Amino acid sequence: MNKFAIIADGSCDLNEKYQKDYDIRIIPGHINYPDQQDAPFILKWENSERDAFYKALSKNPDGFSTAPPNIEEFKRVFTEYAEKGEDVLCITISGGISGACGFATQAKNEVVKSYPNARIVIVDSLRFSAGHGLLVILAAKLRASGHNIDQVAAYLEENKNRIHQCGWLDDLSFVAKKGRLTHSKAFFGKLAGVKPIGEFDYNGLTTVIGKVKGAKKAYSVLLNYMENTIVNASEQTIFIAQTSRYPQAEKYKEMIMERFHPKEVIINDVFPSCGINIGPGLMAAYYIGTPISKGLIEEKALLERIISETA
Amino acid sequence: MKNKKINGIQFEKMVRNGLENLRRHEDEVNKLNVFPVPDGDTGINMRLTLESGVKYAKQNEVLAHYLKPLSEGMLLGARGNSGVILSQFFKGMQLELARCVVAGPGELRNALIRGYRTAYASVIKPVEGTILTVTREGIEHIRGQINRATAIEDLLSMYIAEMKKTLNYTPELLPVLKEAGVIDSGAQGFIYIVEGMLGWLCGDVLSESKEPENRKPAAMKQLDFSAFNENSKFSDGYCTEFILQLMRDGSYIQLFDVDRYIEDLKHYGNSLVVVRDGSRVKVHIHTLRPEKVIALSRQFGEFLTFKLENMQLQHNEVIKAQNEEKKLPHKELATVAVVSGEGMKQLFEELGCDVVIHCADTMNASAQEFVDAFNRIDADAIVVFPNNKNVILAAQQAQQLHGGRNIHILPSRSVAEGYFAMAMDIPDNDLAYRISNMKNGLRNVTTLAQTTASRDCSYNDLSCRAGDEIVMKNGELFTVDKDWLEGIISALRLTPDIDDMETCVIFCGEEAAEEDRDALTERLEEEFPLLEAELLEGGQRHYRWIIGLS
Repeated sequence: MNKFAIIADGSCDLNEKYQKDYDIRIIPGHINYPDQQDAPFILKWENSERDAFYKALSKNPDGFSTAPPNIEEFKRVFTEYAEKGEDVLCITISGGISGACGFATQAKNEVVKSYPNARIVIVDSLRFSAGHGLLVILAAKLRASGHNIDQVAAYLEENKNRIHQCGWLDDLSFVAKKGRLTHSKAFFGKLAGVKPIGEFDYNGLTTVIGKVKGAKKAYSVLLNYMENTIVNASEQTIFIAQTSRYPQAEKYKEMIMERFHPKEVIINDVFPSCGINIGPGLMAAYYIGTPISKGLIEEKALLERIISETA
Repeated sequence: MKNKKINGIQFEKMVRNGLENLRRHEDEVNKLNVFPVPDGDTGINMRLTLESGVKYAKQNEVLAHYLKPLSEGMLLGARGNSGVILSQFFKGMQLELARCVVAGPGELRNALIRGYRTAYASVIKPVEGTILTVTREGIEHIRGQINRATAIEDLLSMYIAEMKKTLNYTPELLPVLKEAGVIDSGAQGFIYIVEGMLGWLCGDVLSESKEPENRKPAAMKQLDFSAFNENSKFSDGYCTEFILQLMRDGSYIQLFDVDRYIEDLKHYGNSLVVVRDGSRVKVHIHTLRPEKVIALSRQFGEFLTFKLENMQLQHNEVIKAQNEEKKLPHKELATVAVVSGEGMKQLFEELGCDVVIHCADTMNASAQEFVDAFNRIDADAIVVFPNNKNVILAAQQAQQLHGGRNIHILPSRSVAEGYFAMAMDIPDNDLAYRISNMKNGLRNVTTLAQTTASRDCSYNDLSCRAGDEIVMKNGELFTVDKDWLEGIISALRLTPDIDDMETCVIFCGEEAAEEDRDALTERLEEEFPLLEAELLEGGQRHYRWIIGLS
């Protein structure tokens, strides 16, 4: 029996189309705007809305905040499935940057007390945004191909550390302020003209593993890095997440298509729940590759070599 | 009668007069700056440097004892290239005269030679046609004419005359001077100092236009007595100052001989100054035995005023104050940067700069400011961004004064270079990697700075009139236009490899209005769509825009 529900919190940035196509249930989190408490949670918008949102965010970063779904909200959804006797695989945003995974686990423990037969499996994605989304879609695809909940969960646990983030985050002030970065806070202001290359570390936090002056050089460094870390490129669907960097993402997509010929490259939006904590400067590809080393030691050395070799 | 010898007190008066003469010509020296930007600061920098020495040094009859603190004060207070060279010149003199109670013509000649040689040695690439040439030729051309009978006045007159000859010749040696139609500003400033010094000997005493800061000990009420307690070690003695009224009365010894009195006082302490004014004698002495000083003095009269201060207390206080300012938490790598403009200060702080040396007007940080910054920092390595080619020397001087423990000076010539270098740092990595990353950031940066010309000038086959909008490229006049925006656009067009450049960081100056910013970004997008231009709030003076291209 492989009928089980796949649930994710809103950080996965998967819009209605994905939710429908892959049968994914989203538990929205909470967002506050400067003029609106608990604003409606959205996973869909037009280009103009995106631009307006990030413009407003840049002007008043402190006016925006987010919170993950609380225990009660997870509980309610889990209970719904428990009552139906349906198993649940819940994939959350990285525990390194959010409390969602802890809340989901507590909710599960409480639900299991009332429904001893309920089967709820929580997986910490160790990723956010499209990285998180990519894992959720992989899970859905495995389910569709007949794998059961344990097989899917085991696959995710085994492979989540192979989801790479290859891109830049050219305004680190947001991640630094919200503590969503491994580095000390003091160091990162807005960096004009310099592109910090961000990768996920072992614990699911973003770490700057190199810096490149100028976008043109950054693109070629990124592609070389991807070439060295991606596995079976031609079989993959690669996501590009961008906050307010759509033109750059399109350029990046073209280059990736040309160089690696993957099945598909999808430019995905970063909606407010993640965007508020990342800021407008993210443009990164997410794909399955080599396992990420502890402390990113190998990745740092690789990037250092690539940067010195790229003119 | 002319002087055959000068002592410490005379030399101090000469230096003060030299300083005053420089002050009076400061603006003129500033305006001699080669480039037509209104940040000419040679005069200010030389004055601040000399002033720092004068403030630091206490009067002392022994020439060597006066020169040592004078030179130290100048080394610490040195600002700009001209200031550093001036301070090194005095350091050379001090080294030569280190054993001299007084100096005669021969000693002075040797000191002037040692002075210019020390100055040459301090500059990595000495440039002829500057203060260096003038001080060298000034003494080398007359050294044969100086003998034991030469009066100090005559020596200095000849020295000045020779220096002036060379000064007028500096445009021939240095093409930038010739093109600009000026003589070298630093050399001119130096001559004003020596002229002032000679002036004092000849009776041309200039009154001080600005009262130097009172460095006398603070009043009692500000003292913190907790700095000296029953466990303290008393080693510094008392700073003792009094005015003694000599008395005719029979109970006092009538025959007061000031020279004898000075000799006697010398047994009890140092930093001695005795000035007799009619029947009053003013005395300053640092002594461990004030009772002896009192007993000796009361043989001749009674005190009009008397002040006795525990110098240990002041000393401890200074140490305490220093320690309080010092403590920055320990770091592996700390950075120091020099900027001008509130916005710049904030930008560098946001980048993680530990100590930002903020110059209010022009970029002229002193060696002392660097040393203070180094003292506040507790780090395994310090990286310094001078951000101006005229500040690099002061930073290097500070590095030496401080002892140079793992201090790395990355010679950024503009804030744009410093900004890119700092932005390239990646913390949480080993020191060598971080420093090399910052060095990489410094490379291939072109800096354009836009301002309004303050006077007519020609340079590099270009000429501009006061009021023209000019763009400097890496410190050299590059384009001249009636309109600042057109000037920038043509400067960008003329920049080699502009097509390969893709980042453009623009620091908006104090005078950059909101509508100017919009106009600039719009034009840039039109003309250079591939250039990613970002505006940052610099708030600097003088330059409406500073543009870093890479």
